[in-house]
Amino acid sequence: MIPSRVNGEACDRLMTLFCWGCALTLTLVLAAILGFLFFKGWHVLGPKLIFGEVRPLDALLFKKRVFSGLFPAALGTFCLICLAVGTALPLGLACGIYMAEYASNRVKSFFSLMVDILAAIPSIVVGLFGFSITVFLHHYFGGRILPCLGISGIALAFLVLPYIVKTTRIALEQIPLEIRMTGLSLGASPLQNLRHVLIPASLSDIMAGIVLAIGRCAEDTAVIMLTGVVATAGVPKSLFSPFEALPFFIYYTASEYSDPAELEAAYGAALILLAICTGLFIISFQIKRRYNSFN
Amino acid sequence: MNDAPKIKIRGLNFWYAKRQILEDIRLDIRYRSITSITGPSGQGKSSFLTVFNRLWENIDGARATGRVCMDFGNGFEDINHPDCRLPLLRRRVGMVFQMPNPLPMSIRKNMAFPLTLMGEKNGKTVAAKAETALRQALLWDEIKDRLNEDARALSGGQQQRLCIARSLVLEPQVLLLDEPTSSLDEAAVHEMEKLLLRLKKDRTIILVSHYMDQVRRIADRHLVLRDKKLVSP
Amino acid sequence: MDSGDRAARRLFFSAGLTCALAGLLVLGFMVVLGLPLIRSGMLWDILTGPWSPDHGQFGILAMAVGSVYIAGLSLIIAFPVSLGASLFIEVVRPRGAGRLLEWLVRLMTAIPTVIYGFVGIFLLVPLVRSFSGQGSGLCILTAALMLAVLICPTMILFFSRSIARVPRTWLDAVDAMGGTPYQKVRHIIFPAAWPGIVSGTVLAFGRAVGDTLIALMLGGNAVTLPESVLDSARTLTAHIALVIAADFDSLEFKTIFISGILLYVMTGLGILAARAAEKNL
Repeated sequence: MIPSRVNGEACDRLMTLFCWGCALTLTLVLAAILGFLFFKGWHVLGPKLIFGEVRPLDALLFKKRVFSGLFPAALGTFCLICLAVGTALPLGLACGIYMAEYASNRVKSFFSLMVDILAAIPSIVVGLFGFSITVFLHHYFGGRILPCLGISGIALAFLVLPYIVKTTRIALEQIPLEIRMTGLSLGASPLQNLRHVLIPASLSDIMAGIVLAIGRCAEDTAVIMLTGVVATAGVPKSLFSPFEALPFFIYYTASEYSDPAELEAAYGAALILLAICTGLFIISFQIKRRYNSFN
Repeated sequence: MNDAPKIKIRGLNFWYAKRQILEDIRLDIRYRSITSITGPSGQGKSSFLTVFNRLWENIDGARATGRVCMDFGNGFEDINHPDCRLPLLRRRVGMVFQMPNPLPMSIRKNMAFPLTLMGEKNGKTVAAKAETALRQALLWDEIKDRLNEDARALSGGQQQRLCIARSLVLEPQVLLLDEPTSSLDEAAVHEMEKLLLRLKKDRTIILVSHYMDQVRRIADRHLVLRDKKLVSP
Repeated sequence: MDSGDRAARRLFFSAGLTCALAGLLVLGFMVVLGLPLIRSGMLWDILTGPWSPDHGQFGILAMAVGSVYIAGLSLIIAFPVSLGASLFIEVVRPRGAGRLLEWLVRLMTAIPTVIYGFVGIFLLVPLVRSFSGQGSGLCILTAALMLAVLICPTMILFFSRSIARVPRTWLDAVDAMGGTPYQKVRHIIFPAAWPGIVSGTVLAFGRAVGDTLIALMLGGNAVTLPESVLDSARTLTAHIALVIAADFDSLEFKTIFISGILLYVMTGLGILAARAAEKNL
């Protein structure tokens, strides 16, 4: 009575084939992108790419100015990361803690909606917001405020804020009830419990999230494009000066390069940026995997 | 007929990740009988059950070697042989899980689902087979007016009997049961045992249980899984 | 609760409120700066008219269409591939290869957008140019293809997460009654996971609309209404990036705030739609 033919076997084979096709396509595309970059860019990698003709130590100690290397751009990106993450971190942590530990369900769902909306704002719009701040400051403080490193940092902080809020919140919410109760049953106040039990217990996840946020700062181009990044500025002098950054260098050179050497530098910069971002990603992944106690 | 072997297991090994759970098992199981398997928990009783329908292939890290031969009327066939078609095997070897697992649909659709999967399109045939199976599982009278309700709204005992009925609708010759009564109350357990005794009249039943008294009441043959071996107590 | 706890609670709350209002602050700034234009009664012309600054016309319709066109096409390309890849990871699951693909997809999320754009210019643009045999290769198709690569990981991770959430017991039930993987997908996984698939798609669309660099670098930035996929087009995001250099007091410049508000509303509605789809479980 049972037919010896398996019904829908053709569909089954088709589905498997399709899935393999998709998986292979994706892998090939990724391999093409990365392979192309490596093929074109690996031979320019070296100290000369970053420091030009200047001795690395002189450049790092700011004794000499680097004109033909990526050093100013790399330093600009580094400053941006510090500024943006430094601004967003305390705020984001506190917000995540509030949502996970204190907020009532209604407040929580409202806050999480607002944070989701913030996370979805296109980065160019965040950049436009940063630009608007400049306009306001310009209006109230006279002509001294122009797009600059500080503004870029603040705007980028808006961009990564939701990441930090989300990872903090999720990390705290994942803590099992037993661990949560242990501290309280020993007479800890909620704040003490938070400081001595909950935050240490979720630190690895929070750290992993922060590392990802750093990567987001390093790669973003649209925000800084509107808030003060320029093609040549040298190393950033102060919060109020224009600056260079790696992703913008790549974008700018791709459209404005004048000779092949400049383009090669852009390939090199792309490889470096790729290495930074994937490196940060792998670090974040490892932190999560190695130190995650419950998962 | 009662003595004819239905299943022959030869040299069966089973690993879960690096841990070996079964070692060189040799076993014959008769037709029209209830074979029960007991043993300390965590020794792999449930894993052993999945050897009969190769459901272990769904478990990450599980691995089995050896021969499991079943006689479906054409002589013994090794179900681990590459020629064995998995969907066909699983239609002949039904399985009921420890926790009732009705699908997220109405009772009627749950019952029709196995038939839909094998391509049965005639609505009358489907309804008739579903009714037969529900009667066999002693559930028909309770739910015949509620067929369009969501199956998850039934009580635990009813859900479990629905799951048995659902696997009976394909008329399997072998029925695997993984502690089917562990989530039921006393009255439902009693019903279930009566049901199993009736069902064994025309199929082979393999039952994992940890209730010794239950085993004594209904099993024709009793095996204990201990130290990777199946032994008689 | 002692006073320290209460102070901490108040501190955390104010931080939370700040974060919650940050999104509104962004909108507020743009509305205030776009207000003169909104008040002037030219809003309709700007939303529906052509872009021709020399003739005093500053319509951004072509850019809005360009945004939807490029993002829509990228979604059409990326959706089937993402669906197939997530089924590969969760259902087909060949030993090792499934995990490997998942890891690769996660890694893809870490690749900077500017790198996609950069590789697009030097690898994809020449390819499209020689295949189409016309134009510069900077066109909607090029941008959409690269954008598809960008949004694929978002979609795949979202899809596979919602597929993984389908209760294991249901899948075991289907397996035990001899269902094939395809039947499992069709009868159980899709009906149970579709809200996640819908919301992942909506979020990916938002991501595609909001992306600047790929469209800016590969789309060609023409300001006319696009007719075919080989036409070049300018998105709202690219428009903002290109016009920012204009004179601050010009009308031309003020249109970027309207573009910004439009983008904000589109992605905000996307979030609401995605949430609605997920609640609909």
